[in-house]
Amino acid sequence: MTVQTERPPSGPADVRKADDGGPGGQKKRAASRAGALAPYLLLLPACVATVLLLGWPLLKDVLLSFQNLNMAQLIQHVTEWNGVDNYKETLTSEDFWRVTLRSIVFTAVNVVLIMVVGTLIGLLLARLGSRMRFTLMVGLVLAWAMPPVAATTVYQWLFAQRFGVVNWVLDKLGWHSMADYSWTSSQMSTFFVVILLIVWMSIPFVAISLYAATTTIPKELYEAASLDGAGAWRSFTTVTLPFLRPFLLATTFLEIIWVFKAFVQVFTFNGGGPDRLTEILPVYAYVEGVGNQHYGMGAAIAVLTILILLGLTAYYLRIVLKQEEDEL
Amino acid sequence: MKRKLIAAIGVAGMLFSVAACGGDDGGSDKKAGADGYAGETLTVWVMDGSSPDQWQKDLAAEFEKKTKAKVEFEVQQWNGIQQKLTTALSEENPPDVFEIGNTQTPAYAKTGGLADLADLKSEIGGEWTESLNESSIFEGKQYAAPWYFANRVVLYNKKVWADAGLKETPKTRDEFYDALKTIGEKTDAEPIYLPGQNWYHFVGLVIGEGGELVKKDGDKYVSNLDDPKVVAAAETYKKFQSLSKAPKDKDEATPQQGEVFAKGNVGAFIGMGWEAGIAIKANPKIEKEIGYFTIPGATADKPEGVFLGGSNLAVAAGSKKQDLAKEFLKIALSDKFEGQLAKLNGVIPNKESLQSNLEGNAPAEAAAPAAAVGGTTPLIPEWAAVENDPNPIKTYLTAVLNGKSPADAAKQVEGEFNKRLAQQQ
Amino acid sequence: MKRSLIGRLWPNVTAVVLFLGFVFPVYWMFATAFKPTGDIVSENPVWFPTDVTFEHFRTAVDVDHFWTYVTNSLTVTVLAVVFSLIIALAGSFALARMRFRGRRHFIIVFMLAQMAPWEVMIIAMYMIVRDASMLNSLVPLTLFYTMMILPFTILTLRGFVAAVPKELEESAMVDGCTRRQAFRRVILPLLAPGLMSTSLFGFITAWNEFALVLVLNKDAEAQTLPLWLSRFQTQFGDDWGATMAASSLVSVPILILFVFLQRKAVSGLTAGAVKG
Repeated sequence: MTVQTERPPSGPADVRKADDGGPGGQKKRAASRAGALAPYLLLLPACVATVLLLGWPLLKDVLLSFQNLNMAQLIQHVTEWNGVDNYKETLTSEDFWRVTLRSIVFTAVNVVLIMVVGTLIGLLLARLGSRMRFTLMVGLVLAWAMPPVAATTVYQWLFAQRFGVVNWVLDKLGWHSMADYSWTSSQMSTFFVVILLIVWMSIPFVAISLYAATTTIPKELYEAASLDGAGAWRSFTTVTLPFLRPFLLATTFLEIIWVFKAFVQVFTFNGGGPDRLTEILPVYAYVEGVGNQHYGMGAAIAVLTILILLGLTAYYLRIVLKQEEDEL
Repeated sequence: MKRKLIAAIGVAGMLFSVAACGGDDGGSDKKAGADGYAGETLTVWVMDGSSPDQWQKDLAAEFEKKTKAKVEFEVQQWNGIQQKLTTALSEENPPDVFEIGNTQTPAYAKTGGLADLADLKSEIGGEWTESLNESSIFEGKQYAAPWYFANRVVLYNKKVWADAGLKETPKTRDEFYDALKTIGEKTDAEPIYLPGQNWYHFVGLVIGEGGELVKKDGDKYVSNLDDPKVVAAAETYKKFQSLSKAPKDKDEATPQQGEVFAKGNVGAFIGMGWEAGIAIKANPKIEKEIGYFTIPGATADKPEGVFLGGSNLAVAAGSKKQDLAKEFLKIALSDKFEGQLAKLNGVIPNKESLQSNLEGNAPAEAAAPAAAVGGTTPLIPEWAAVENDPNPIKTYLTAVLNGKSPADAAKQVEGEFNKRLAQQQ
Repeated sequence: MKRSLIGRLWPNVTAVVLFLGFVFPVYWMFATAFKPTGDIVSENPVWFPTDVTFEHFRTAVDVDHFWTYVTNSLTVTVLAVVFSLIIALAGSFALARMRFRGRRHFIIVFMLAQMAPWEVMIIAMYMIVRDASMLNSLVPLTLFYTMMILPFTILTLRGFVAAVPKELEESAMVDGCTRRQAFRRVILPLLAPGLMSTSLFGFITAWNEFALVLVLNKDAEAQTLPLWLSRFQTQFGDDWGATMAASSLVSVPILILFVFLQRKAVSGLTAGAVKG
């Protein structure tokens, strides 16, 4: 067995310097049979769990997506195969494509906001004095720790039509038409609140871990840059950014996944309404499948949702794949 | 394996012996012996607010006395009930008896999830009011038992009306509107609490206009929202809603309008008579202020159209306690308890002979004149899908209230409405 | 390098504004929960609760089965976090420190697993659990929650394991420790911050879940807090005092956990990043 040190390709720890020992390391002892099996044994529980608890439901879902499964079939435990009908109907429906496009735009807007503002706040944290930094950290952590169901409820109250504090403030600021404004009444206002909510709860993770990452940038790099006559901006683009790149990539990947799946916030805030105009793919799958008791159709939409998410993250997955390859 | 077999039997024999599935499955369906059904517990789902605590308590006592078995009432919310009921009926231990809305009964009858109650009908159902039993019959078979019926009335706060100087309750729609306006002008109270999505009231208005929400197109049902009669109903709804500060995109249960009314600064709301109970529970002091009157129609001689809401009691085909469940129905639907329910909740009982229980019951007396001109949504299996969230009729109402023309709003939801009416079963 | 007054001032001003922005919703939740109803539904907001009331908390706790929900939520969440930590620790050690055929594929599998949109697969999960006659039980919930947090835990812990200097492990082994002993005595203590920050994530995820429990457990005896909150919210939609009290009750355990683990977890993030 070979002891190997390597660069972890993801997670917050990803920002370490890449110059530590290459593959190989020292051979401590000859590979024994048992030793060769060890990694597989260690991974066995995780794999069993994944296959049983994720693989099986996933397979079941794929099977359901080829069935006509409604109230009657579910109640009677009847299996009625209907080939690719569900897919045909979904893919030819204008709604599905509209929701898909909406999901992608929704994800993009959120992720860009989260990453940009999160990074800026992370850099700000690095610049603050220790007392101020602690204060801001506390604020971030509180927002981070709020459970989404509770946070969504709180936002409903903040933006409530009657007695909501946001409407009151807008009214006092001279925006009198907002005094009795219903934020759930239109697509844009609903999205505005949902995006604000998601950005608010997601930024702390990005900001705090980015701050943690910046503390690991060796000072010498900045000194060298300033010797070369680089200003603040230049040293940011030539030192900070390249150093943080792997971290930013990994975080963006996580945020894409989390935002794309933001079921709770969208569903709890306004149920995908008004008029189904704020449904994103997971909500659409839920409404069509469970809500509308058209379970086979819901399963087909679920499968397509997974494929679309795969497509969105394919770029990052390929980087990881290549990186791991390089290291082996 | 057994499940598959049962499923096969279910399909093959769907038309004649669905109920047999349940019996075959557990095989634990004890016949009433000397010991009765001692040790067994029957699970009964009732909807929130539909049966008073007193009724449940008395009934449970009587049931235990007669059968030695216990009954457990589980209160359900209307929101999301279909999803919950569908999955529950597919499970090993479904609720044995459950309340099911009359508009949803045909759909469930079609699924095979409801036990055939033909024998119960012949035993105790001879006098059931025929028009009320209509929704329980699907393809000629009895899949549920009619339980109670009710239609909406105006519940008003006498103090608020007195403060506004109003002495009489209105007899026409215009008088009603003027009275509410007066409240708005002369008091601080909200004249009427009418959320934008009280679609049952809207259905009533449509019925009042003599319209229909759907029409037949060949052998399919399609949207009829662009019909001038429906448009007229929408205009009426909008006119009254403009007097309310209630949210345009919420229904009457979120929040419970009774609870809003309980705070004492609302002039009136349109609801079931028993919703007064919700208000009284939230604020006992409100009890003496609550009054009732029939929803006034366009002219004084004919009250406003109403939706004849009703609930049936059904037995799950998958229940392992078929006999006990029927024993329960016999007691619950007996004159004693059916009469008590009518009396306590002011609802229309399933037999005409029991109507006398409503005498002196203010909400029931307010509801009675309108019942004659009431109606329901089409009693077709396709209808249940329409009521799933997001219900296109609710969407339509919100759109109209937010300023869309009824024609545009009808066009907006037509696709969704038709899709649901045509949804494969 | 001297900065102008403005140059020194703006980061602090921005920080204060940001602090207020992030804290306000949390503050408003608690403030509303403690205010008497008259102060909640008032034309002008009452910014600081002057006469504190516990009435709303009483309404919230006064619901049938409240304490059952609390117990269930705690049981399910703690078990799921512990299970996933144990499973992930073993797996991440292999992925970070060992070389073997197919390692890359394992990593990709866990990354894919992390992407699973659980809410859309609910009916499939429901049918599996139903056909296994496991409805209305905490067991399937615990198992599924474990799986929901497992991929993230593995991938993150892997970073932490890799960040522990291998020299430490080696020197321990030179000192006569077996590999397992080296792991237990040297690596595990260094991993503590990593374990804490991943368990925080796990805790939040499992504590929050409600779509699955809604379908699987109709029996109140087997339901959890988020379900109670969402139902509470539909029933008491207009009673913001009670709703906020309920939200506060759901949030408090996580907030407390964060306060306790935050410094360790954040310094864990830093440590994971520094050591390398």
